[in-house]
Amino acid sequence: MITRRLVRWLDERVGTAGLGRAALSKVFPNHWSFLLGEIALYSFIVLILTGVYLTFFFDPSTATITYDGSYEPLVGVEMSQAYRSVLELTFDVRAGLVMRQTHHWAAVVFAAAIVAHMARVFFTGAFRRPRELNWIIGITLLLMAILNGFAGYSLLDDQLSGTGLRILYSVVLAVPLVGTWIASLLFGGNFPGTQILERLFVIHILIVPVVIGLLLVLHMGLLLRHRHTHFPGGGATDRNVVGERLWPTYALKAGGFFFLTSGALVLMGGIFQINPIWIYGPFRPGNVSAASQPDWYMGWLEGSLRLMPPWEVRAFGFMLPNPFFSGVLLPGVTFGLLYAWPFMEAWLTGDHAEHHVLDRPRDRPVRTALGVAALTFFTILMVAGADDVLAVTFDLEFNRMVWVFRTLLLVAPPVAAFVTYRLCIELVQRERDSQASLPAAAETVT
Amino acid sequence: MRRYGEAVPIAAFCVAIVGGLGAAVVYALGGQAQAEGVLLAMALGGIGVGLASWAKTLLPEEVVIEERPALGSGEAELTDIEDTFVERDPIHRRRFLGTLLAGALGSLLVALVFPIRSLGPNPDQGLRQTAWQGARLRLVRNDGTPVPADELNVNGVLTVWPEGHVGEEDSQTLLLHLQPGVLQPRPGREDWTVGDQVAFSKVCTHAGCPVGLFEERMNRLLCPCHQSTFDVADACRPVFGPATRSLPQLPLDTDGDGFLIATGDYSGPVGPGYWNQDR
Amino acid sequence: MRRILLQVALLAVLAAPLGALATTVGPGSARAQVDDVDAGRELFLTGCVSCHGPDGVGTDQGPTLIGVGAAAADFMLRTGRMPLAVPGQQPPRKEPAYNDADITYLVAYVASLGPGPDIPDVDPQRGDMAVGGELYRENCAACHQAAGSGGALSYGRHAPSLHQATATEIGEAPRIGPGQMPVFGPEVLSDSDLDSIALYVLQLDDPADPGGLSLGRIGPVAEGFVGILIGLGTLIVVARWVTRSRHQRLAEATEVDR
Repeated sequence: MITRRLVRWLDERVGTAGLGRAALSKVFPNHWSFLLGEIALYSFIVLILTGVYLTFFFDPSTATITYDGSYEPLVGVEMSQAYRSVLELTFDVRAGLVMRQTHHWAAVVFAAAIVAHMARVFFTGAFRRPRELNWIIGITLLLMAILNGFAGYSLLDDQLSGTGLRILYSVVLAVPLVGTWIASLLFGGNFPGTQILERLFVIHILIVPVVIGLLLVLHMGLLLRHRHTHFPGGGATDRNVVGERLWPTYALKAGGFFFLTSGALVLMGGIFQINPIWIYGPFRPGNVSAASQPDWYMGWLEGSLRLMPPWEVRAFGFMLPNPFFSGVLLPGVTFGLLYAWPFMEAWLTGDHAEHHVLDRPRDRPVRTALGVAALTFFTILMVAGADDVLAVTFDLEFNRMVWVFRTLLLVAPPVAAFVTYRLCIELVQRERDSQASLPAAAETVT
Repeated sequence: MRRYGEAVPIAAFCVAIVGGLGAAVVYALGGQAQAEGVLLAMALGGIGVGLASWAKTLLPEEVVIEERPALGSGEAELTDIEDTFVERDPIHRRRFLGTLLAGALGSLLVALVFPIRSLGPNPDQGLRQTAWQGARLRLVRNDGTPVPADELNVNGVLTVWPEGHVGEEDSQTLLLHLQPGVLQPRPGREDWTVGDQVAFSKVCTHAGCPVGLFEERMNRLLCPCHQSTFDVADACRPVFGPATRSLPQLPLDTDGDGFLIATGDYSGPVGPGYWNQDR
Repeated sequence: MRRILLQVALLAVLAAPLGALATTVGPGSARAQVDDVDAGRELFLTGCVSCHGPDGVGTDQGPTLIGVGAAAADFMLRTGRMPLAVPGQQPPRKEPAYNDADITYLVAYVASLGPGPDIPDVDPQRGDMAVGGELYRENCAACHQAAGSGGALSYGRHAPSLHQATATEIGEAPRIGPGQMPVFGPEVLSDSDLDSIALYVLQLDDPADPGGLSLGRIGPVAEGFVGILIGLGTLIVVARWVTRSRHQRLAEATEVDR
């Protein structure tokens, strides 16, 4: 048959048969939470496919023209070629809007899946030796996803993303010593400059995707080398992997899941409108709209900027302006802690052993409590970033909300940590009690 | 013989076929985003459900155990590599040459980094000055028309620019016509108004958004980005939110033809702070 | 109420020829008839005087109405903001408390108190959509949001949604500057500017939405919710389905039997 002949043809030239056999027999443990990383990977593939399509239509140019297309409310309005090309894609290119919306929803889900996957890895202790390197690669992937998402939606030169770019410029300015230089070099001068769209384009379609691609190869490569972790039970130990073979079972499931993920993203791209830039209008330096927020994965930074009290440090003629604390220090410390976590935990617990069996979150109450506290902290920041929208929707007062959120930010994480800790202890205790009352210990089946 | 388990994959693949063909038909007929999305999703989702349910129901259930070989290479191998490396390491034997090589590579790196400097100008001048500086420029509206001193009504607000520099971000200015007696001018700025008209930079001193919301009754300017609020009566001192510095004020006067002009640049640096703003 | 209407009707019929020649009271009430003003005064004395004072001089419960003009009265009454149940809070838009005729009388009366902005003659069809959009984004979007969904102001106030506003109301509000809204006089926004803005804002009530469900057009906040809860949420449910095995279902079955 064709497959046989192809395999022989390849093996004669590359010698792949042995490798292939080993690869196809690889064992993958079967648990839904192991598919979170796959959601991210498949979203990335959708991003690449739809993204390439979009590059054939997008014009990354700040040159201005007067619009004369089919969207009536903007006919006669001056705008950049970039903005015009997106309007054309939306209103005049068949399947253009569905591709663009699928691309944007894929970016939203990509970031969400990475965070969910990161949380799973954290709460199950899968970052421990030998996987510290993979954790570091993963955090970098998260950073890249956030940066590329921001760069991507800023390319359209609409009012909303332009406001976001202005804020980015100001936060970069706030970096001590070199901030003004980095901002000027990145933008080609003062805001808005004449170069930022063209440069963001290169960053968005080439530099960061290549970095993500390389990191993904490393990430999956390490996964193959280490083999996947697995939950306790069903005979799982640190010296084996219990699950299904790659071929045919896992391949069909993973392949099917790829189609399901891309199907979900395309469905969202068709029925949920996202980033309606024709309503925001083209970017103008003097204009701004109420309810200006970045995409969700930057929401925590937005909340940080809003909640930060008006502190500024000025000494010896130098200044640490307010956005430094909320826009530079906070994310710096956040990512610093994220990167350092496997090493910090190993040092704190004294556990430097190799682990391939996962923890159940309840079995590690301190780590789980800390993780929940962190999630609480960042969720409060994210919600605070939408305080004006919440104020209008629920008829609240944002002045008061700011104070409430500031208080919650300090109070809620410790409370959440305490509650989580007690919950873990309680759950484990109940299990022990119910197992102790059984005549013989039943084998736990995963 | 078809078994019951094949029903789901069969149905799913059929849905996929319908979806794919349907999407092609919709496209050929002119396209419609919602229909395209739903039909493409049927095509993709159908294949997905088909493959996954095939795996779940038609393939033999298996629990396979694979051994994890030790990750490390073993002491013998490591010692072998270390010995070989050390034995053959050229730099280890000629330290001086090695240091010079490092110096050469380092200086090459420094030289290669310098073209990055061409990406943008020295930031200082641009950040400290706006287009208002020096000349006595007229205030103009977005369409370039100058503003007569009696044009803006009481309780009104207008975004203005220096003549010839409409759209230059750091020069955007708010012209406000306050009620009589509201403004308490800062020392030295007593003649910076024309009647009860006063002008401030529109660039928020927190993160640079246009401070577009004039809460007229309370004489406050509210920035929509992070809710910094400025008290116009007190020369836009910040009274809520993260901003720490007042919006700089623009000194106003009228020219010979009765149009509003600025007699110089703002009272202070425009927009957000940075490391050496005070120097 | 009916008696007053009857009297007014009689007066109108008898005085119509005279009314046509009647001189106006103040520049803002060109078409008001003396009897309209009287009818308005009657209504005013029952519904408004407790907060706005006799002859509209104002009290500590409500501002003076002298010089607010026909536009202000018309705007407040037609959007149901006035009469206001609890003074001091931002008046919400609701069903008008008065019918068309009564509103006309009250407007005539308030206009008679002192010169003020007349009800603008706003015709969206005379406007230019693109100009309206540009003016809207320059002057209005900062408070009312790019899609007219409204925005937050200090201390619980808000710039309201514009989706229910009529063309006339869209013209009246800038001229009078209700609440915290600044005043946009004819030198700032001309009458034809108002036509264009009205055309644009009315289009915002029912925009194209080619992308599907609009999610409120308020931007990334709603989109984030949908992306995470519906997007990721659905995929997690799907992942659970994909990985659920017969083995697992057997184990669950066994557990239940226990």
